[in-house]
Amino acid sequence: MGSFVRTRALTPSSKPIEHDEELRTSICCLCNGGCGIKISLDQEGKIKAVFGDSKNPYNKGKICAKPMEISQTLYGPYRVRYPMKKVNGTFERISWDEALDLIAQKYNQYITENGTGSIVGITSKIGGSYSKLAHSIFSELTGLVNYGTGPICTDSEANVRKKLFGDGSGTSPLSDVVNAKILLIVGNNVAQTKAGQFHWITEAKRTGTRVVVVDTRFTETAQAADLFIQIRPGTDTALGMALLNYVIKNNLYDPTFVAKHTNGFEKLAQDVSALTTERAAEITGVPQNVIEKLAQDLAVLKPGMLFEGRGIVCVNNAGASVWAFEGLMAILGNIGKPGSGIISHINNTGGISNLIKADDVMKPDRKRSSSALYKDMEEGDVKMLLISGNPCVTWPDSARMSKAIEGLDFVVSHTLVMDDSAVLADIILPATHWLEEAGAQASVHRVVQWKNKAVEIRGEEKSGGDFYRLLAERMGLPSSYFPDSPETAWELERKYNKNVAGISRERMLATPGGVHFPCSEVGEESVRLFAKGVFKTSSGKVELTGVSDSPLDYVDTFNAPGNIGVSREKFPYLFSTNKVASHYHTECQYSDWANEMEQPYVEMHPLTALEIGVGEGSQVRVETVAGSIVLAVKITQSVPRGFLSTQPYFGLQSPYGQAPANTLFPVAADPVGGNLVSKNIICNAKAEGGQGL
Amino acid sequence: MSQHAMLVDESRCIECKSCTVACKQENGLQTGDWWLRVWRREQLKDHLVRSYNTQSCRHCADPVCQFVCPVGAIQRGEDGIVIQDHENCLGCHVCVSACPHSGMKIMTNGKVGKCTLCSHRLERINEPACVTVCPVNSRVYGEREELLREANKRVAELRAKGMRVNLEGADKDQTAVMYLLVDM
Ligand code: SF4
Repeated sequence: MGSFVRTRALTPSSKPIEHDEELRTSICCLCNGGCGIKISLDQEGKIKAVFGDSKNPYNKGKICAKPMEISQTLYGPYRVRYPMKKVNGTFERISWDEALDLIAQKYNQYITENGTGSIVGITSKIGGSYSKLAHSIFSELTGLVNYGTGPICTDSEANVRKKLFGDGSGTSPLSDVVNAKILLIVGNNVAQTKAGQFHWITEAKRTGTRVVVVDTRFTETAQAADLFIQIRPGTDTALGMALLNYVIKNNLYDPTFVAKHTNGFEKLAQDVSALTTERAAEITGVPQNVIEKLAQDLAVLKPGMLFEGRGIVCVNNAGASVWAFEGLMAILGNIGKPGSGIISHINNTGGISNLIKADDVMKPDRKRSSSALYKDMEEGDVKMLLISGNPCVTWPDSARMSKAIEGLDFVVSHTLVMDDSAVLADIILPATHWLEEAGAQASVHRVVQWKNKAVEIRGEEKSGGDFYRLLAERMGLPSSYFPDSPETAWELERKYNKNVAGISRERMLATPGGVHFPCSEVGEESVRLFAKGVFKTSSGKVELTGVSDSPLDYVDTFNAPGNIGVSREKFPYLFSTNKVASHYHTECQYSDWANEMEQPYVEMHPLTALEIGVGEGSQVRVETVAGSIVLAVKITQSVPRGFLSTQPYFGLQSPYGQAPANTLFPVAADPVGGNLVSKNIICNAKAEGGQGL
Repeated sequence: MSQHAMLVDESRCIECKSCTVACKQENGLQTGDWWLRVWRREQLKDHLVRSYNTQSCRHCADPVCQFVCPVGAIQRGEDGIVIQDHENCLGCHVCVSACPHSGMKIMTNGKVGKCTLCSHRLERINEPACVTVCPVNSRVYGEREELLREANKRVAELRAKGMRVNLEGADKDQTAVMYLLVDM
C-alpha cells in the first residue's frame, strides 16, 4: 500500500475557555450548602462557566460538580420557555395572558363549586425567597393547601424537632463542627450530598474532632470518618434508644442541663429502659462494646454535634429515630453551646405573620394528610392541582401519583423543564431558574446570603413571585399584598418576620458568607439557637417526651408502615435510595455532564448478585408491592447482603428515560413524624429478560 | 528555579468528581471526551478497602508518549508541561498504549487528547481548574519542594495509622503530577 493522507478531524476536541475579568457573584441554591459561586457569561449572555467564589468563607472557592452541570439545563432542549396549553393531547403555545385568565377562571370556579379544598398545590420547587413569599401570601388569600418538600423529605425530622425544641430547624451551623469534640453522623452521606461543604468535616477531623458515622452503606463519608459503624437498615432507633439507656443508667448525662432545661426525663428513662445495649446489639448488628464505647465517647467528648440525613429521616420508623438521637443530644447538654447541637439542612428563617388582614384570610375548608391526598385525587375530591416540582418522580408510588394527576380536572405545572409531571398538565408555565432570580438563600451554616440575578431569561419565564401575584390580580384578590420584585419581597419579609428584621440586603452583600439568623432589628445575629437555654416550646424547656402521647418505642422496619403484613418470602430483600454527588433531586438530570458522570444503577452485594444470578451491568427487575422497575446492577461490597439501593430522582421524561425509583414505595407514612416512606421497603429482584448468569 | 508541581492525594478523595467536570468546563471538552477520570476500586480484606483512583496525564520528566509519537506532536516544554499538539496529531493512538499512567485519552474525534495542566490558566489563576474546585484538597498545586514535604508527612501519618500508601513521581522517574496512592 502506498502512503495515505489522513483527514484532519473536523472538530477539535477541546477549546479552553477564555477567562474574563468580569464575573457575576451568586449563591448555589441546590443542596442548601450555600456555596458562593462566580458566573462567567459569554457574548450572548449565556453561562459560559461556573466557578467557586474564593471570597465566600464557607466554601472558599470549592464547589461540587452540580452548579457547573446546571448551566446546561438552562439552555437544554428540555427547558420550557413559554406558556403552553394542552389541546387534544398536544401542547400549543399560548400567551401568559391567556394562561392566567384560564387558570384564574378555573380557580374561582372550583372555589365556588367545590370549595377551597378542591384545589391543591404540590410545590416543592417553588423558587427563591421572592417566590416563596408570594406563594405564601397567595395561599393565605385563597386557602390553598400545599404540600412542599415536607412529605417527601423533611416532615419527620422537622415535626419531631419542633416538638422537642420548639423549632424544626437545625440548631447549629455546620461550621460549628470545628469547635466540636465529636460529630455523630447518622444516615447521611454528606461527602456526596454536600461535597462543596465537606471540607468543614475533614478540617474538624484534622484538628481533633472525632467523626463517627453510622450508616447501612459504607459511604464516602464513612470512609473519611474516624469510626464507621455499619448498622442493619432501619434499626437506628434501637441504637439511639440504647445509647440513651446506657447514658442514663450510668449517669453519663448532664444533670444540670436536664434539671434546668428539660421536661420528661423520668418518662424518657422509662421508655428506653428495656432497650439495653445487649438487646440493641442483637437488633442492630452493632457489637455491644461498640455501642457502649460510643455512649462513653459521647459523654466525655463535649461539646458534641449530631448530623442526621435522609437515611434515617425518610424511613418508616424515622420519627422515633430522630426523637432518640436528638433527645440524646439534649440530655448530654449538647445544645446551645459552641460546637454542640444539631446540624440540619432544614434552615427555615420562619414565615411572615400579620401581613394579611383577618378579613382577607381564607382558610382551607378541608385538610388531608399527604397519604390521603392520593385517594382524594383519585376519588374526585381534588379538582385542580398547581405543581412546581416533579411529584410524578419524587412522590412515592410515582405511577399511582401520575395516574391520579392524569385523572384530575385541571392541572397547572409551573416548571423549568418538560418533566414527568409537566407532560400531564393542562397548562404549562415557564419558570425562572434560581440563577435567573434574585433572592435571599439560607444555608446549612444558618446564614442567609443575598444573590442578585446572575443571568437574564431567554424566553417568557416568570418566577413564582410574579406568577402568583399576577394570578391573584386576575382572580380579583387584593393583590396589593404582593411584592413586585425580589427586593421589595425581602423588605416585606423583614417587616413581618422578626427573625430576619435586622438582615438588610446591604448587610448580606457586605458580609462575606451572609448573616446568621435569627437577627432582630436591634439584636445581634445568633450563630446558634437556644444559646440562652430558653427553648421555643410552650414550657421553654426541651420536651423530651413531648413528641407523642405514646412512649418512645422501637418498631422493626419490617413491622412498620409499608412493610407490615407483606410477605417476606415473596419479597426477601430490602430496597432503598441514596444520592450521588453529580445529581441533585430531579434537576440535574437534564445536564449533559450529569448524564456523562453517572447513569442509574442499583447497588448490590456480590452474594446477593450471585443469588439472583446477575453480573455487573446486567439488568435486574426490582419489584415491591407497589410496582417494579428495571435497573443496571452495580456490584459493590459497600452495601450489606440483601440490601439494594438506587438513586431516587430519575424520570421517564428525561435524557435517562428511567422509570422513577420512588414508584417502588407504597404510600405509607412514618407514624411518629409523618414523612412519606422512601427508604427500606421490602422487595424482590430478578434477572431481567433472561439475562441471568 | 523553583519548580511547580501538583499532588494528588488519593487518601483524601471523596469521589465527588468535581474535578472531572471542572476539567471539562475549563477545557471545553466535547461530550464523551475526558482528560481526567475517577475510578472507584474496592477490595474486601479483613475489612472493606476502597479508594478512588484519578487518572490524567502526569507530565513525566521523560515522557514515553513523546518518544513514540511518529510525528513529534508531543513535546515537553521548559516548564515541565507535556503538550500534545492537536493539529499535528495523526490519531494513530500509539501514545495511548505507551503511556503507563492512562494519561493519554482517545477523543471522540479520533485523535488523542490529554491534560495540559491548564497551562492557559496558570498565568492568571495560578492553579489548574481541578485543583481549584476540589473540596477536600485531594488535588493541590504549588512549589514542588513544599508539596513533597507535605506529601512525605502525609505518608508517614497514614502509615502510622496502618494504611499502606506510597508516593509516585517524587524521585527518579519524576512527574510534574505526583500521586499519593492507597495500596489495595
Ligand atoms: S455543595 Fe451544595 S451548595 Fe455547594 S456547590 Fe454543591 S450543590 Fe451547590
